[in-house]
Amino acid sequence: MNTLAEDQKSVNQPKPTKKRKLIGDRGDYFLNRIEGETGANVSACYQCERCTNACPVSHFMDIKPHQAVRYVQLGWREDLLKSSTIWVCLSCEMCTTYCPNEVGVAEVINHLRNIAAHSSITPKEKNLAVFHQTFLEVLRKSGRVNEFQLMNAYYLKPNILHEKIKSGSFKEELLLGLTLLRKGRLKPFTSRSKAIKDIQKAYIQARGEIV
Amino acid sequence: MKLSFYPGCSLEGMAVDYARSIDAVFKALDIDLVEIDDWSCCGATAAHSLSEAMSVILPARNLSAAEQMGLDIVSPCANCFNRLRFSQQMIQKRVLDIPWPVTGDLKIHDMTRFLAEPPMIKKIEKRVLKPLKGLKLVCYYGCQMVRPPRITGYTDYENPQTLDRISAATGAQVIDWSYKATCCGASIGIARREIGDSLTKRLLDKARQAGAEAIVVSCPLCQSNLDMIQKGRLERPIPIFYFTELLRLSFSDRGNPKWFKTHFTNPVQLLKTKSLL
Repeated sequence: MNTLAEDQKSVNQPKPTKKRKLIGDRGDYFLNRIEGETGANVSACYQCERCTNACPVSHFMDIKPHQAVRYVQLGWREDLLKSSTIWVCLSCEMCTTYCPNEVGVAEVINHLRNIAAHSSITPKEKNLAVFHQTFLEVLRKSGRVNEFQLMNAYYLKPNILHEKIKSGSFKEELLLGLTLLRKGRLKPFTSRSKAIKDIQKAYIQARGEIV
Repeated sequence: MKLSFYPGCSLEGMAVDYARSIDAVFKALDIDLVEIDDWSCCGATAAHSLSEAMSVILPARNLSAAEQMGLDIVSPCANCFNRLRFSQQMIQKRVLDIPWPVTGDLKIHDMTRFLAEPPMIKKIEKRVLKPLKGLKLVCYYGCQMVRPPRITGYTDYENPQTLDRISAATGAQVIDWSYKATCCGASIGIARREIGDSLTKRLLDKARQAGAEAIVVSCPLCQSNLDMIQKGRLERPIPIFYFTELLRLSFSDRGNPKWFKTHFTNPVQLLKTKSLL
């Protein structure tokens, strides 16, 4: 138990100072890039915080949506790509819809997520990134996404199963899965789309390779 | 009347009950739904999160197939509808080269708005055999169906009315509430359980506070989120219906408890106390 003196001591101690970052030393390069690529009106933001107040998951983010827009204006690229914000965002479009200046906040965050996915930076919310990745892998394999195969593929990704067993949620999820199978809501076998070759080709082309 | 139908991946798996009820309802309303030839996944959230190009190209394949059939598309899934509409707008703006022949001229309906148009509502009201009297409902739309308005075309995106109108046509009592279009967390619960749970629990609490006995949804993911979280946890369960299940129930004079056997929160008891089953 803390005594009064100890409490006061902890109050009086100076807070660890963060290294101050310079503002305005990065130029407009990143801002212009994001505005050009998304068509979002990032410069118009006047920090009213309406996006953050509308966001249903802002308390799980380290950089709040209005701050993310400011970071883009300042060109603080690597802070954004390292943040949990871009992965926690649900793309529910509340921020975009209620922005008084029609800054496409969700579009900006989504585009940052795209940039992060193609960069060498390890995502802060790795599990969320891995889930998206798995979804696309399953989609590429059969053209349609079967929930049973998706969940199996996700659990077999490195570290996922380990974490689930450690946190104790694995047993519950296994039972849930079995119940779903029994109820007929999970199908072990998928129906394939016949145009899978075309889809795979489109993937390679979208990556920038010539087929 | 003939329409092409884009079911989406969920309707083959998690939302089989939605698929079955859609079949029954559209047969009863004399509307032909023709499944799009060899449809493929629209990419959902993963595609636009990791590769914006694929989020246009993947739905474009389905649009192309529907154009060859020459029929307007109706989509039951909120996210599929959103992605198809988004892809259509990008195709019309010619932002990307699409490997499939596609013009983007077709109309894309979302199923709730298609059924909530005045002539369809009249048709539904005529077809109702057993009004769902005394059933207190709140309608939950989710995010992807109504937002962003420039893509979905909803003008009343803060207080959408389509599901409310359809549910009212079946004779149920529809309660107004403030969480119609608040996000349920979508697939985030798979990787980050606590985020998904916090969002879904709030929705259920608010529905209970509004005095609802059941929630009506139109999105497969919203249904499974709201339904599965109630598995053996909450003391007063709230059944989650697809709106087509309610329509199917009101269209037949004697419902079948088997229709609801895939639900986690079994609505049979609630329906029996209201003598609707």
